[in-house]
Amino acid sequence: MADTAAGPGGSGTRSGSKQSTNPADNYHLARRRTLQVVVSSLLTEAGFESAEKASVETLTEMLQSYISEIGRSAKSYCEHTARTQPTLSDIVVTLVEMGFNVDTLPAYAKRSQRMVITAPPVTNQPVTPKALTAGQNRPHPPHIPSHFPEFPDPHTYIKTPTYREPVSDYQVLREKAASQRRDVERALTRFMAKTGETQSLFKDDVSTFPLIAARPFTIPYLTALLPSELEIQQMEETDSSEQDEQTDTENLALHISTEDSGAEKENASVLQQNSLSGSRNGEESVIDNPYLRPVKKPKIRRKKSLS
Amino acid sequence: MPPTGIEPSRMNRKKGDKGFESPRPYKLTHQVVCINNINFQRKSVVGFVELTIFPTVANLNRIKLNSKQCRIYRVRINDLEAAFIYNDPTLEVCHSESKQRNLNYFSNAYAAAVSAVDPDAGNGELCIKVPSELWKHVDELKVLKIHINFSLDQPKGGLHFVVPSVEGSMAERGAHVFSCGYQNSTRFWFPCVDSYSELCTWKLEFTVDAAMVAVSNGDLVETVYTHDMRKKTFHYMLTIPTAASNISLAIGPFEVLVDPYMHEVTHFCLPQLLPLLKHTTSYLHEVFEFYEEILTCRYPYSCFKTVFIDEAYVEVAAYASMSIFSTNLLHSAMIIDETPLTRRCLAQALAQQFFGCFISRMSWSDEWVLKGISGYIYGLWMKKTFGVNEYRHWIKEELDKIVAYELKTGGVLLHPIFGGGKEKDNPASHLHFSIKHPHTLSWEYYTMFQCKAHLVMRLIENRISMEFMLQVFNKLLSLASTASSQKFQSHMWSQMLVSTYGFLKSISNVSGKDIQPLIKQWVDQSGVVKFYGSFAFNRKRNVLELEIKQDYTSPGTQKYVGPLKVTVQELDGSFNHTLQIEENSLKHDIPCHSKSRRNKKKKIPLMNGEEVDMDLSAMDADSPLLWIRIDPDMSVLRKVEFEQADFMWQYELRYERDVVAQQESILALEKFPTPASRLALTDILEQEQCFYRVRMSACFCLAKIANSMVSTWTGPPAMKSLFTRMFCCKTCPNIVRTNNFMSFQSYFLQKTMPVAMALLRDVHNLCPKEVLTFILDLIKYNDNRKNKFSDNYYRAEMIDALANSVTPAVSVNNEVRTLDNLNPDVRLILEEITRFLNMEKLLPSYRHTITVSCLRAIRVLQKNGHVPSDSSLFKSYAEYGHFVDIRIAALEAVVDYTKVDRSYEELQWLLNMIQTDPVPYVRHKILNMLTKNPPFTKTMESPLCNEALVDQLWKLMNSGTAHDWRLRCGAVDLYFTLFGLSRPSCLPLPELGLVLNLKEKKAVLNPTIIPEAGASNQESLSNPGCHAQLAGFQNPFSSSQDEEEVDMDTVHDSQAFISHHLNMLERPSTPGKEQPLEMSVHSMVAAPLSVFAKESTSSRHSEHHHHHHHEHKKKKKKHKHKHKHKHKHDSKDKDKEPFAFSSPASGRSVRSPSLSD
Repeated sequence: MADTAAGPGGSGTRSGSKQSTNPADNYHLARRRTLQVVVSSLLTEAGFESAEKASVETLTEMLQSYISEIGRSAKSYCEHTARTQPTLSDIVVTLVEMGFNVDTLPAYAKRSQRMVITAPPVTNQPVTPKALTAGQNRPHPPHIPSHFPEFPDPHTYIKTPTYREPVSDYQVLREKAASQRRDVERALTRFMAKTGETQSLFKDDVSTFPLIAARPFTIPYLTALLPSELEIQQMEETDSSEQDEQTDTENLALHISTEDSGAEKENASVLQQNSLSGSRNGEESVIDNPYLRPVKKPKIRRKKSLS
Repeated sequence: MPPTGIEPSRMNRKKGDKGFESPRPYKLTHQVVCINNINFQRKSVVGFVELTIFPTVANLNRIKLNSKQCRIYRVRINDLEAAFIYNDPTLEVCHSESKQRNLNYFSNAYAAAVSAVDPDAGNGELCIKVPSELWKHVDELKVLKIHINFSLDQPKGGLHFVVPSVEGSMAERGAHVFSCGYQNSTRFWFPCVDSYSELCTWKLEFTVDAAMVAVSNGDLVETVYTHDMRKKTFHYMLTIPTAASNISLAIGPFEVLVDPYMHEVTHFCLPQLLPLLKHTTSYLHEVFEFYEEILTCRYPYSCFKTVFIDEAYVEVAAYASMSIFSTNLLHSAMIIDETPLTRRCLAQALAQQFFGCFISRMSWSDEWVLKGISGYIYGLWMKKTFGVNEYRHWIKEELDKIVAYELKTGGVLLHPIFGGGKEKDNPASHLHFSIKHPHTLSWEYYTMFQCKAHLVMRLIENRISMEFMLQVFNKLLSLASTASSQKFQSHMWSQMLVSTYGFLKSISNVSGKDIQPLIKQWVDQSGVVKFYGSFAFNRKRNVLELEIKQDYTSPGTQKYVGPLKVTVQELDGSFNHTLQIEENSLKHDIPCHSKSRRNKKKKIPLMNGEEVDMDLSAMDADSPLLWIRIDPDMSVLRKVEFEQADFMWQYELRYERDVVAQQESILALEKFPTPASRLALTDILEQEQCFYRVRMSACFCLAKIANSMVSTWTGPPAMKSLFTRMFCCKTCPNIVRTNNFMSFQSYFLQKTMPVAMALLRDVHNLCPKEVLTFILDLIKYNDNRKNKFSDNYYRAEMIDALANSVTPAVSVNNEVRTLDNLNPDVRLILEEITRFLNMEKLLPSYRHTITVSCLRAIRVLQKNGHVPSDSSLFKSYAEYGHFVDIRIAALEAVVDYTKVDRSYEELQWLLNMIQTDPVPYVRHKILNMLTKNPPFTKTMESPLCNEALVDQLWKLMNSGTAHDWRLRCGAVDLYFTLFGLSRPSCLPLPELGLVLNLKEKKAVLNPTIIPEAGASNQESLSNPGCHAQLAGFQNPFSSSQDEEEVDMDTVHDSQAFISHHLNMLERPSTPGKEQPLEMSVHSMVAAPLSVFAKESTSSRHSEHHHHHHHEHKKKKKKHKHKHKHKHKHDSKDKDKEPFAFSSPASGRSVRSPSLSD
């Protein structure tokens, strides 16, 4: 009940004006009409003989809001206690919360002059058209209780591998890679240029060759010297493979990999040990560098405090 | 030249005879430098120094020290307050009242000012009076301890602060500070004897933020926290006697890396750069090994530190036991091009540790020995590391550079001797600056000086053999290390100083050879040799008639007399001949060994013993000569223009194995655009064994030849098929292979070839469409994913290639450049540039090489009229905060724009940047670029040349650049380029007075002056009495008793003297004899130091003196050495005088107390 009452609040006015034949709308219209009847009967009960349409509408609206709120709030309480079906106590708590004195309710319900209203015509619960279903929903595995929600449609999580003949023509591949990269780069830079400040080489035209505006860095050398993430990644990828024919290039033979990293580790470990605890005997006595020695505490102060 | 040069020259002569004689009346033995507070926010430094000195003369009462821009609070000698005067004439070289605007006048005045504070002449900016209580103590030659408290506020030179404006503490921001400067510049950051010849031991203390590291010279003894634990004090001890000029400092939140191979070596870099530092320095130990091995001497210091900092003054600066490098030298393993460059910098720095830091020099005129030796051993390292080809190529390059420079400017003198201070004897009268002091030298001159020095060392090696050479070095080093270990015998320390005399003596002792002629030719004399050679073959006598002419009359040349090697490649082999070049003989007959061509097929022996098959069909059937080389070993500093037939050059290129010969023949072949040349070049390009640099220059030569023979050229554009064959896919020749730069030789070729190809032009003088498409395809298909190395340099060169392909736009009625009339090819180029430049913002390349190339390319498009000429883009890239390479490229474009568009606004913008930019290197570079590509020159009329600009530049070099020697000399260079030596032509003639043409020593009267004035002027010129007086005042630093004995020649030649006359003439009153005399009295007012000198000899121990002492202190408090104050004071003085004049050497001076009584 509470669930359904929450729905029409928004769509009620719209559907009235539209006079559409939508079954869902019809359903909501019927409910609203019932509410109007209730309001009218309550007005009669209060001694009114006639009422303007506008005021009846307003009161209906208020009633509807009130009931909706009860429903919404009750639902919250019920969910709060990990249930899906609201119980009476949920409603009671809700009413209390809303400032309603529940004790007066039974008396009010049993009042003599109350009018009995016919139940709303039974219309079918609107059927929400099922979203495109593909395949059978998977049943719950035994360890999941059945009241748990069902699995979503399989197409939302199942992957379907497709097989296609890969393009193996070198020229086509290179062509494709090149144009793809170029397109991506162009799109990306254009986007950046569109969203940020630009400079232009032509006074009359700022869009054909937009240059992203030069922006000074606070520490310019960092971006200039450090390899970008892309490059680091590339290096890691290529490092292990194919790069062993290094030896013949005598001139610029660069130090990489093994020995370098070995030295690194050694050094790092020394640094670490030193920073942790001054001088321990063993390996680090091999490296005695004044910059690795611990910083001394001031002497004079200590003397003063002692004396 | 005012006779201020007397003192150093006297000193020089003595030095030539025996050992070192100090110009100072005391010996410094130890100095403490303590900097206890460094404020990065305010960029200030507070500290003190303590100098321990021993007087060497009895009546020492004045102690002169060097100090610039330091604020000195207090001086105490042995705990007694001492009075002092701070006087720095270099702050403002010529006084502002002077209307002089000619450079001659300025250069003389500047040299005089530098002399006046030159420590090598016993002078200094800071003059401390020994308190009278200590006079007795001094007379017993007992030790004095001078304690000076000083501070430094926002230093403009000497110490450079880098403080990035980001959030966080100074350490988190990467703020750092380091010492920098050109030659002896230590005086900029603490008071000292800023000379390379005054050695002492050092104790250095720096208190810095706990998150920072202070790196300085010598051994780090300990690091101690301050009481609040927020700061640390670094204590350094340097026990090897070292000159103050070799003291340095770097403080910052450095990352510390102990060298894994040598634990006494420590490397420092800025945060986040540690991986780069590891890679970059991983090679250094090999350099150490190399030097220690060839010098058979251990590295002299007990430790070595390398610090990599931002905003470096120079790429490499060597100081005692540490070197400061630019952080931009750091690179990762992926970078190819920077690796050899950085290693060269490391090797250079290390060579200077031995010669330059450990071994210092006696005087400026001995500098060439140090630079020569360090450059020479660095060359040996190059030879070993990069191979003989690279080494010879480098020597050739250096030789070409020095030759070009000397021919342009008129000579570089390695060992200047200054006799008597006479203008006539000025060894460098062809230059617009004095070469007496390192601080007056143009930077370019100094670079060339270093280059010549190492080339001359190589010449000496050729003469005495490398073995002896190394023995000499070893001797110098072992002498020095013996002396350095004599801790308490400071007189021995002068053994650590090298002099020209000592070096030459050592050479003759070790080798027993007389190299005097060689020294006389290349060291004591400036200029290079220019040979013109041609030959004829005499078939009858079977003799090669060689004619060698010399040009020794043009500026920068000298006559060569002596042996000259000529190598002749004949059919039967290669033969060396040594010709004697004498005064009058031009022709030399060289007998040939082979009969002319025989038909027998036989291999031809080459110089290196190799025998090769040659196709001899091209050669002259009558002659057995294949090619001839003059001075193949480059054992003369020369330029050779040799004429031989095109086929001979082609043979030389193909078969001579020396890379220098190959290079020379490539250059010569440019003049022979024939199919045969084309073939020879293409063959070279294809030869894998050929040196890659030769192949690279063959590319450019081939492009030139192709352009010259454009009408007869057949086949595809030059190099295209070659490139396709070498670097493109076999199956689809239009697609370049994915990058693999494992072979560096082919990498360099791959980079260069498209750049050269883009220079090709068709019959319409346009770049062929085919070539442009080719380059665009290279860019399109460039794929670096599988490459171990970065392709940023390669891509940058592709943009350079695009720029090279641009030709001037066809302009119709000077229409405005818009997008609509854009050439379609240019549109394609612009498309690429835009994409590259934008991608750089997202994925920046190493050192932003691509941005740099893009900016250059955009300027090329502007210049050729495809894109509207506009400087705003470049200006935004030139701003502080961009990477320095980008800034320089952008500034270069602005400089070019200024020239082409004659824009006053841009020129002002540049000048403003010269004065305000935070980075000294950028300021220097702007001046340098403006000098190289000036908006106008002295021979040119230009709307930009006006009085305001003259005044502005004058102000810049006169007082605006006093904090940076290099910058000031750069400003002088620019002034010279724009206006020349004499008064700029755009200035109006002075209202009253003469216009002196100083070059021709002619005076032209301003026609508006009445004839009487002219007559009286002549009178005063010919009045000997007043000359003497004037000469006396011009030289307040020579002792005043000399007044009577002034050399008249000096007076006549002195331009400063003439200009003083000019100033006198500007005076409205009628000239007479009395006034010059009166003036000489007033001159004393402006020259307190001369008064000092006089005083000291006459009334030293008088009460009178005491009185001054107190007066002096009061004065000091009042002024607090604020220049502003001083300035006011100064001008007040001037107002009081009846007429204003300026003495070049007097400078801004605090008024002498003795005269204020």
